[in-house]
Amino acid sequence: MTGRRLPGGFFDLEHYRNWLTSDVLCAPRPSDDLAHPMFCYYAAMGGMGLSIAEMFALANSSASEGPMFGECDMEVFEPLRVGVRYEVRGEITDVRRKQGASIGVFDLITFRLEVMTPDGAVAGACTNSFVFPRGAGA
Amino acid sequence: MRHVAVGDVIPELVIPSVSAEKMKTMAALLADPNTIHWDAEDCRRLGLGDRPVNQGPNNMGYVVNMLMDWAGGPASVRRLKVRFLGNVFAGDRLVASGEVTNVRMGDDAIVVECDVLLRRDGGEPVLRGKAEVILPA
Repeated sequence: MTGRRLPGGFFDLEHYRNWLTSDVLCAPRPSDDLAHPMFCYYAAMGGMGLSIAEMFALANSSASEGPMFGECDMEVFEPLRVGVRYEVRGEITDVRRKQGASIGVFDLITFRLEVMTPDGAVAGACTNSFVFPRGAGA
Repeated sequence: MRHVAVGDVIPELVIPSVSAEKMKTMAALLADPNTIHWDAEDCRRLGLGDRPVNQGPNNMGYVVNMLMDWAGGPASVRRLKVRFLGNVFAGDRLVASGEVTNVRMGDDAIVVECDVLLRRDGGEPVLRGKAEVILPA
């Protein structure tokens, strides 16, 4: 699975997304076209070419099996802006089977996503690690 | 030029009560199928208690807000690397905090590295990490 490329795609950073996301995050109401920095993550996830449910399925899991967000490394090389269509590309960079004290056997799956401007510059990158519990029979 | 030094404490940001309604909005924005973010009944069934669980990126967002407040807006936040340590539930009171660990000159700005923490009221950490922000030189 390591090295597998994700489908990729596009994310339109629309005004309503920035407004509602800023509201959810209890951030100041946006006053210009600069998006909340968390859009480095939201654009990456929104444009990776898989829904969250499909991403869980790719890991042979589902929401009902309790996957958890383990770690996130979000790098912003240039601020993301409202009104821009970003292209996203990504790949699975690491898969490890581990044993946890509370959840038992689990797989830690890491994937890196890059968010690119229309002229091809990498505006941001997100490296996400998700925990997929595998149960006693794994 | 703003003076920043190692050991400087970033002013805390408090979320008085995590909103279950805002979790629903985020679940819809992300098309997130995980019921623990909106269905208290399912949380009970899964043994998670009787309150919805906040989305992890929301918890990151509170830390980003603290950094923006201190450093000067959305363009100042350049990196946030975190580990999620525990669930945050609807109604929780959260405190985001941080401390400067390194200061260096970048190409045209001051680059400030920080340790950051988000803890539940009472002190239990739910997220810990490192951040990088830029300040005008």
